[in-house]
This record gives sequence, C-alpha cells and structure tokens, in this order.
Amino acid sequence: MRSPNSKKAKTKRLESIRSGKRTKPGIQYLIAILRLQPGIKQKMASKLGLAGGIPERRVRPIWDAIDSRQFKNALKLTTTLLSKHPHSPYALALKALILERMGKPDEALSVCLNAKELLYKNESLLMDDLTLSTLQIVFQRLDHLELATSCYEHACGKFPNNLELMMGLFNCYVREYSFVKQQQTAIKMYKLVGEERFLLWAVCSIQLQIEPVDGCTGSTVRSGFRFENAAAFLCQTAIRLAWFILVLDGIYSILDCSMEPYTGMVLCGNGGEKLLLLAEGLLKKHVASHGLHEPEALIVYFSILEQQAKYGDALDILGGKLGSLLMIEVDKLRIQGKLLARAGDYAAAANVYQKILELCGDDWEAFLHYLGCLFEDESSWASETINTPINPPKYVECKLTHLTDEVFNSCVENASAFVQKLQAEASNDSLRNPCLAHLEIERRKCLFRKNNDDNLVEALLQYYSRFGHLACFTSDVEAFLQVLPPEKKMEFLDKLMKNSNSLSVVPTRALGQSITLLKTQELIGNMFNLSVAELEGSAVQMAELYCKSLPLSKDLDPQESMHGEELLSIVCNVLVQLFWRTRDLGYFIEAIMVLEFGLTIRRYTFQYKILLLHLYSYFGALPLAYERYKSLDVKNILMETVSHHILPQMLASPLWADLSNLLKDYLKFMDDHFRESADLTFLAYRHRNYSKVIEFVQFKERLQHSNQYLVARVEAPILQLKQGADNIEEEESILESLKCGADFIELSNEIGSKSLTFNEDFQSRPWWTPTTEKNYLLGPFEGISYCPKENLTKEREENVRGFIERKSLLPRMIYLSIQSASVLYKDNSEINDSLADPKISTELKVLLERYAKMLGFSLNDAIDVVVGVSRGLKSYEVFGSDVIDWLNFAVFFNAWSLNSHDSGRQGGERTPGSWHVVNSLLENYILGKLRSMGPLIQSPQGDLPILVKLVTEPLAWHGLVIQACVRTCLPSGKKKKKSGSTDQSISLLSNAVRDAIQSLCSVLEEVAKWSQDQIKSPEDNKIDLLVSSLKRNGGAGKVFNILETLASSPNETELGDRISQALRSWSPVDVGRKIVTGQCRVLSEFWRICESKIKSLKTLKQQIALV
Amino acid sequence: MTTILRFCCNDLLRFASVNLDHLTETFNMSFYMTYLARWPDYFQVAEGPGNRVMGYIMGKVEGQGESWHGHVTAVTIAPEYRRQQLAKKLMNLLEEISDKIDKAYFVDLFVRASNTPAIKMYEKLGYVIYRRVLRYYSGEEDGLDMRKALSRDVEKKSMIPLKRPVRPDELEYDSI
Repeated sequence: MRSPNSKKAKTKRLESIRSGKRTKPGIQYLIAILRLQPGIKQKMASKLGLAGGIPERRVRPIWDAIDSRQFKNALKLTTTLLSKHPHSPYALALKALILERMGKPDEALSVCLNAKELLYKNESLLMDDLTLSTLQIVFQRLDHLELATSCYEHACGKFPNNLELMMGLFNCYVREYSFVKQQQTAIKMYKLVGEERFLLWAVCSIQLQIEPVDGCTGSTVRSGFRFENAAAFLCQTAIRLAWFILVLDGIYSILDCSMEPYTGMVLCGNGGEKLLLLAEGLLKKHVASHGLHEPEALIVYFSILEQQAKYGDALDILGGKLGSLLMIEVDKLRIQGKLLARAGDYAAAANVYQKILELCGDDWEAFLHYLGCLFEDESSWASETINTPINPPKYVECKLTHLTDEVFNSCVENASAFVQKLQAEASNDSLRNPCLAHLEIERRKCLFRKNNDDNLVEALLQYYSRFGHLACFTSDVEAFLQVLPPEKKMEFLDKLMKNSNSLSVVPTRALGQSITLLKTQELIGNMFNLSVAELEGSAVQMAELYCKSLPLSKDLDPQESMHGEELLSIVCNVLVQLFWRTRDLGYFIEAIMVLEFGLTIRRYTFQYKILLLHLYSYFGALPLAYERYKSLDVKNILMETVSHHILPQMLASPLWADLSNLLKDYLKFMDDHFRESADLTFLAYRHRNYSKVIEFVQFKERLQHSNQYLVARVEAPILQLKQGADNIEEEESILESLKCGADFIELSNEIGSKSLTFNEDFQSRPWWTPTTEKNYLLGPFEGISYCPKENLTKEREENVRGFIERKSLLPRMIYLSIQSASVLYKDNSEINDSLADPKISTELKVLLERYAKMLGFSLNDAIDVVVGVSRGLKSYEVFGSDVIDWLNFAVFFNAWSLNSHDSGRQGGERTPGSWHVVNSLLENYILGKLRSMGPLIQSPQGDLPILVKLVTEPLAWHGLVIQACVRTCLPSGKKKKKSGSTDQSISLLSNAVRDAIQSLCSVLEEVAKWSQDQIKSPEDNKIDLLVSSLKRNGGAGKVFNILETLASSPNETELGDRISQALRSWSPVDVGRKIVTGQCRVLSEFWRICESKIKSLKTLKQQIALV
Repeated sequence: MTTILRFCCNDLLRFASVNLDHLTETFNMSFYMTYLARWPDYFQVAEGPGNRVMGYIMGKVEGQGESWHGHVTAVTIAPEYRRQQLAKKLMNLLEEISDKIDKAYFVDLFVRASNTPAIKMYEKLGYVIYRRVLRYYSGEEDGLDMRKALSRDVEKKSMIPLKRPVRPDELEYDSI
C-alpha cells in the first residue's frame, strides 16, 4: 500500500506540515505546532479574538499569503499591519518570518531582535505564546536557538505562573538538549498544576542526563552523565544541586532513606544513582497521592527502577493495581519475565515465558528467553549500546559453562518436553517456531557437549523437509550451521542433495526446495570447493531451471516477485567466482548479461540491481552503476544504510557532479534530521509517549556518530577543493568558507576519542565485496568461508578513524601550503626581515609531523622515505596502500620547505631539492601506472581509480602550490620590496616553478592522451570484443547461450504475453553498448579534468616566462 | 518464529531489505517519527532470528464520534518472508488494538485501484471496498478506501459501501 504523493491543496498543505519538509515550514510549521498543541490556538482566539494582540481578521490574510508562498504579498500586508501596530512584536515577528522565507536572513534577524527588544522593553505588552513561538521559529531557522530561549526565559520570568509560556520554555530547552533546565522547568509546571505529564517530563529529563550502560533499558547505572567535558559537568551539577535542595523538602519524607545520606550523596557526587533515586522518589510520591494513568508513565517508572536494579519493587508494582494499565497481556508478561529473570528468579521467569509461548506460539524471542531462564544465562538479557552495530544481525550468544551435566540434561529435557507440547498444540501447520526451537535445543547441546553434531544435522534435515521450500530457509538456519565443523556441514549438504531426488510434487514448492539447496551450498561455502567444470555445470543447471520455471510466473502481476528469481543472482555469484579463478573476462560479462536479462523480464528486482551496480563499478562503467543505484530509489534513512553500495566508488571517480549530489543529499538528510529531531521529541512529550522521548534522543546521537556521516562531512569540502584546484582565487574563497580548515583540524583531533556508529546494512552486498574496504576480486583467488561471515567491524572502526583523522587535515594543510607559497623566502641572514609569517611555517610543520606519524614515521624519516623513492633508492612499494597520502605528504613538505629555514636539512638542496622530489615522484609514479594499464574494456577495475586520485589530489595540490608561487613571483604580486636578495629568491623560485610546470604538463598530457585514445577507439569494435568473449569455444558463454535460446523463440502459450514480449526485447548488444558508453563517460570526465589542468598550467607557464 | 514488537527508531536502520522493494515507500524521518511519537502501538515490527526485520505495519487512530477508527498507513513484508501470512498477522494485531484498546468503530486503509493482489488479500481479511477516491495517488490513479467494522460497530454501518466515488478533498481525514 502506498500513500499518495500529492493531493488537493488542502490535503497537500496538511501533508507538508505533517511530513515536516524543510522547504515549507514558516507559518505552516507554526500552525502545525499549534495543531500539535490542541486547544492553544482556540483558547487564544476565544479568550481574546486576537492573535498576538492584533484582531485575528487582520492577521489571517497574512497567514494565507504565507501558506500559499506569496511572500511579497505577505510582506506588503505586514507592512500595512505594522503601520497600524508599529510596536506589535507579533507583527514584527511575522515580518521576520516572511523575510527569512524570502532568503533574507540578516534582515530577518534584525527585525526579530527588534521584536525581542520591544517585548523586553514594554512592560504592559502582552507576552503571548503565539508571538513567542513565531519568533522561536525564525530564530531556530536562523540558527539562534539561544535567542528564542532567552525570549521565553524572559517571558516566564515576567509571568511566572503561565503554563503555556512554561511549556514553550520547556520546548526551547528540548531543542537545545538542555536536560537539566528541562527538568527544572518541568518540575515548576508540575508544582503549579500537579499533572502527571509534567512529572513524567521531569523524569524523562532526569533519565536523559544519565548515560545508559547498555542501551535504552539499561540494567545498572554507571555514574556517568551525558556531558562532554568536566566544566559543563560541574556547572550542571551545581544547577542540579540547587534544584535538588529546592524540591528536597517536598520529597525527602517519602523516600526510604534519611535526609542525611541523601544530601551527603549529592554533595559527594556519584550523580547517576542519585538522579535515579530522585526520579523514583518523585514518582513514588505522585503515585501515592494520585496514582498513575498512562501506560507509558508506568513503563518509564519500570525503567527507572530497572536501572537501579530494583526488580522486586517493579514486580510489586506490576502485580498491583497499576499493572492493569498495561492492557495487552503479552506485553505485561514480557515485562514480568524480564524483571524476574533480571532479579535472578529464573524458575518463575521461565514460567512466564512459557505462558507467552502458549499465547503466541511463534514468538522466537520469547523462546530464546525461555531457554535463557532454564539455563540461568543472564547474557540473554544484555541489550545494545549506542555503538553496537545494528547490522549484521546478532546471533544468540549463550553461556553454558556454569552448568553441570545433570542440570543441563534436566533443562534440555524440560525444554524438549515443552517444545513437543507446543508442537502438538499448534493449530497452524506452518508455524516454524516449534521446529526452530528444537534446532536451538540441539545447537545448545552441541555447544555444551561438543558431540551432538549428528543430532543437529538430523534436526536440520527435518526442518528442511518441512520448510525447505521457503525463501527464508537459509537465513533461518544460518546460526545453527555456524556451530557445525566444516565436515559436518558438508555431510548435511550431501544428505540434502540426496533428498533432492524426492522434491515436492507441487511445482512452486519443488522450485523453492531446489533454490534452497543451492543457497545452502553457497552459505556453506561449498561453491569454492568445486572445480571450474563443476561450477560451470552448476551455473548451466540453474539457468535451465530458471527458464523451465518461467511459466510458473505467467499469470503473476508484473509487480509481484517471480518464482525462481533468486536463481539468476546465484548464477551471477558463480560466474563472478569463475572469473576470479580463471581471469576469463567472458565470465564477468556473462554475469552482467544474466542480470540484465533478468531485469528485462522483470525490471523491479532490486537484488539484481545491487549486484549489477557492483559489477559495473568494477568494470569502470561507473555511470551505469550510478544509474542502477538511482533506480533503487534510495532516499531518506536508506541513504544511511544503503548508500555504501555506491559512495566509495564515487569518491574515487571523476564524476564530480554526481558525487556532489550524492554527498549533498545525504548530508542534507542527516542535518535536517538533527535540526528537526528535537521538535519530534517534543511531540513525543506532548503525546505522553515518554519511552519515545528517550529513544529519539538516543537515535539522534547514533546518527550523529555515524562513521559514514563523518566521512561525508570531510569528503564534501575536499570535493569542492578538488573542483576548484585549477583556480587559486576560487580555491581561496572555498577555503575561506571552510574557515581555512580549522574545524576539520578539530575533527581530526577529536576523532580518536569519539565513539563511532556503523549503521550500514551490508547484508545485501555481493560475496566478493562484503564491506566497503574489501574486494576479493582485486587479489588472487582464494577460498572464502561464508559461514560464519567475517566480522569486520573492529577493523573497519580503526580504518575509518585513521581515514578521518588523516583526511580532515587536508583542508588546513592545503590552506597553509598556499600561504607558505605566497611569500618569498629569504635566507637565514634576513630571516627576521622575512615576509613569511613564522606561525604558518610552524603550524604546517606540526601538521606534517602528524601526517608523517599517521604514516608510521617521524618527520625526518618520512622525508628520507620520499627523497629515497624520488631518487630511485627506494621502491614505490614502501608506500604500500598509502601512496596518495605519501604523495600528499611530499607536496606539503615542498610547500613548507619554501618558507622554512629549518627545512634545509637535505644538504643545501633546500628549495630546488624538494621541488624535484615532488615532480619526480608524481611523474614516475603516474607514468609508471599509465604504462602498466591496459585498455579499460579488457581490464576491469585496473588502476583507473588510483590514477584519478593521483591527478585530482596530490597533483592538484601541487598545482595550487605552483599557482601561489607564480603569483608571488609576478611583478603584480603581493607586497614586495625589491632588493638584491629578493631578486635572487624570485629567480631561484621561478626556475623551480618552470621545471615543475613542465613536469606536470607532460604527465597530464600523457594521461589525457591515454584517455583520449580509448575514447576514440571505435565503439563497435569494443562491443564486439565484449559480446565475442561469450561466444568462444570453451570457457564462458554457456549460460548466456541458454538465455539466448529462450529469448530467440519464446513459447507464448507457456510464458504468456508479458514475459514473451519482454524476452523479444532482449538485446545483448545494447547491454554491450551501454557498458562502452559508460566507460567512455568516465574517461571523458577524467580527460576533461586533465585538460583543464593543462590549460591552467599553460597559462602559468606564460606568466612565469615574463619573470 | 516471529516476534512482533513495537517498532523503534533503530528498526529504521534494519528495514532496508523490506524497503528496497519498489512498492514500499521510504518516507521522511518526521513522518515515521510522528507516527512513533503519537501512535506507538500502531507501529509494529515483525522480527525473525538475529533481529532481522521481516516486515512491519504502521497506522494510527483518529476521527470523531462514529468515525473514530484505526487506519493502516503501510503494511509491508520483505520478499524472503512473503507467502507466510505475516501481513495477516500484523493486520490482526492493529485491528485488535483499535478494537480492544482504543474502542474504534472500524479500521480502514487505502489501496491503489490497480493493486489487485493487495485488494484480494484485504478482502480475504474481511475488508470491503467502502468507496473509490478519484485520483488519490499523485493526482493520477484512483484509490480504494477499504473498511472493516470492529465490535463496537454492531450493525456494521461503517462498512456499507458508498454509491458514488469521492474526490480527495472530500475526505474527512488526511488518510495517509
């Protein structure tokens, strides 16, 4: 079911309000807020017939004009309104709102400040929530939350008992994530009206101050707070203490502890526990006098108790009158089971989980908890922390070592008996839970005794006989297969194969069973044990099965998944493996053809699109990969979990416009969420869904720590710098907008201690590239085990940290390099008189030291390495996989040498020496790469991405240093005092620059020629090359032939109209053409980049010739 | 082997395999979070082993008087877990919450008039086509408003089909 994208005007407006699109807030947003606060608007209208002190009929036309985006008209109306009410803060607020929407932030801010001043000045003026919330919206959009907050603070000070204003103030604190102030405000409101909701607002605010140990439902409290630094912590503690003393007299009597230890605890810190105790005290007192009325309030109460390990108290409450607030029996039982288990009463907890399973026989989690209780295994209740990766799925861990044989056996007996009972009672034959429960028991027996493999294999076979036809069979059994040794896995597979003779008589079921067999073979990793011939045979069989099964889908709606769709994905996997083993490109092309064929028949299969986008990326046809990616319609939160499929390849590509969009969309999504998340949190407060309050705040933090987000934040400005690198003025203005890279230095400093989250969903990645950092096809053939899949999170975390730490130094180093090259160096005797700013040189040196350290060397040693390689004394291999970083280092080292009197350690070869180092490093490395590279069409992947990086990063930065030097040498250059030594310096520098320009130009010309040669080679020849690789005798092409045969003469009666028509439209030559065009576009973009650099260098050459 | 739980924010990071399906819309964050903040009981996820998301349902409760009703905004199942009656299970849950907890009169939903497989499924679950909404989807395709009466609507008045189709602006609620 889909919801409509647009409807009539009325509904459209509602939609935009609800969906909170950032493009349309303004007055709608304000109204939305009022809508979310039912009654406020009505109350105001009925009370006064006024809006912000002005008759509503005068204001309404303005609202309508803003709503319909007629801002000019709205502004005109507001001007008229202001002429009648020149001192109305509301009219000014409206004006500011309109100005902001018209893209005039400065004017908007000044009008807002004016309104604020009026509000403050005029004692008699009405301070209504409408005016304040309008101002709030504008301040928020202008990134001045603090000004909105101060307005509300002022208003609340003036009208201390106005609940509406206090709610507004609370909302401001929610937006600022000021939990302590939230807490104080909520308590004031609670004191004023005694309502349960305000108490819960306070309790949530308290909970938010506590850093949970293990996620949202943390079991024990670490005495930590959510404050980043000690100063903030102390300040907050002081506020808390003040507040605490304020309310203490009200609550101490109801606490089960005396006054003395209570104050003592606060004074000696140990904050988290005290805060929880306070929250508990507040709730207890309220419950005693008023009870509780919201189920969500009860849930928060439980979590407060749970965090203090007061399980018994929570159980008492659950069993008492309040327990009836939870109306869904199963929910209540789940809480009861968890509390009992955490309290250590496993027997009682097991009984509760039994009850749950009797009510919902298919509840897998309940079964696992049930087992956890029987085995007295507390790990069953451990929850996630913020940096626990969301993906891959976690498998059930269990601790069994503490059990004796006897206890274990009796537990297993009990569990088995219960499962049998469940199985017997199951009315629904399709219930998988009891069967999986049986498997889980056998798995635990394996883990405990280590000699139960045969029973587990037997149970797996039974499970296959019942559910082998289901598409989810392999993911169901993955965790069970993991505990089997390789030979037992094979034994299981052999037995399954034997079963394949007795497939179901129902065709779709039989097809499902066959596919399951193949998927199991993949899962176990058996495909890697087969010979090339066997693999080929298997691919052929699958293709035949696919063709044979097509008639089953004859009558399906085109939107529905087809029977046997997965077969083509498995065929592709096999063909890619054949390519990896044999390096016969034909198999690779065949894999592409197979998937394109599948998409011709049904264009919606996202699994094919994902595989294809990786194949195209590897084949250097990135525009095609990007097209496939776009057809997946990845938007909103999917950008966080799915864009890893394309982002890394794009980052190394010359497709800058597409990359820029990709980064922009992603960053906009994330930043918009960070901006609006607090409003949604406030919505949860208002609707009394307190558990969601905590959840929303934690989720925002999870996204803020996303590794991908941080990478994108660094890569986006670097892309800008790459794009602007041919024009130093442009580059300087980009750098200026980036505060000369200062913020990135901060990020680089912080990243080591920042916790990162990994939210990417790698499940859908192809086998040959299980993470963004790994691609098996780049190395020689080796076996891979799928089961268990490698867990690469730790390794990734280290990589990403290192990457961000290094990369975020770049903007600043580029800036400093330009600065360093923008002044003339004079020798030591005149150093005091030098035009150079010594700070630049010092800072650049510090950064070079850091950069070198990240590469594993001291500054001096790193310099020795680059000099050694440039002179041919060392091989480029010493750079390892960090070649780009090493070359960057050389470039920045040269820039620093231009203006440093302590860089002359290279035996008097100061400036010319370091120039020569960079020139020859770049020249030799790039030309070496170029010579080793074959045409793209015959050598997928190859070194094109690295070549692109070399040209667009170190070479580009070197180009900037050259541009800065030319500017310095030119007569029209910056302030210069002509003197003898200056002349000498200029002549030295201009000689070095001339050589560098010559060197870069010749390198770039060769690269451009290489690209151009390939672009120009006739398209038809290239297509022939691709298609003929499938038609050779022997090797690749067998699967392709099967599909071709089917497409050449489709049986219309069997396949139906739609499939037959699709088959007739199949054209492998078109696929070949698309590949060739895609590759050409990448090369053209790359050629364009090279040409632009050549042009810029030639201009510099002419300029420097005049010096 | 399905655990049905309240949908939580982290599930948004787990539902890619469900939402990559071309018929499942991925809404913006405030849309999901508004549902979570306002009707958390109407947003449920079905989880398989290893916390895999099998599918989910999102909905709400709204209306006044006899129009007080539950609404299904989206129900979707990952390809791997289809044809196992999971959607039915999720629908039944939402109906139960509307019926028992919120005492609603009926549950309704909107479906593309061309989506025959879905219409058939809803009919099997007891829904009838209450009315046709002209050009409901992107101003092009008609939508069908399907309803199922709950126990409070003893005479099943809410399900008596309207004779004439309606325009989107005639709808009482914004039925996303």
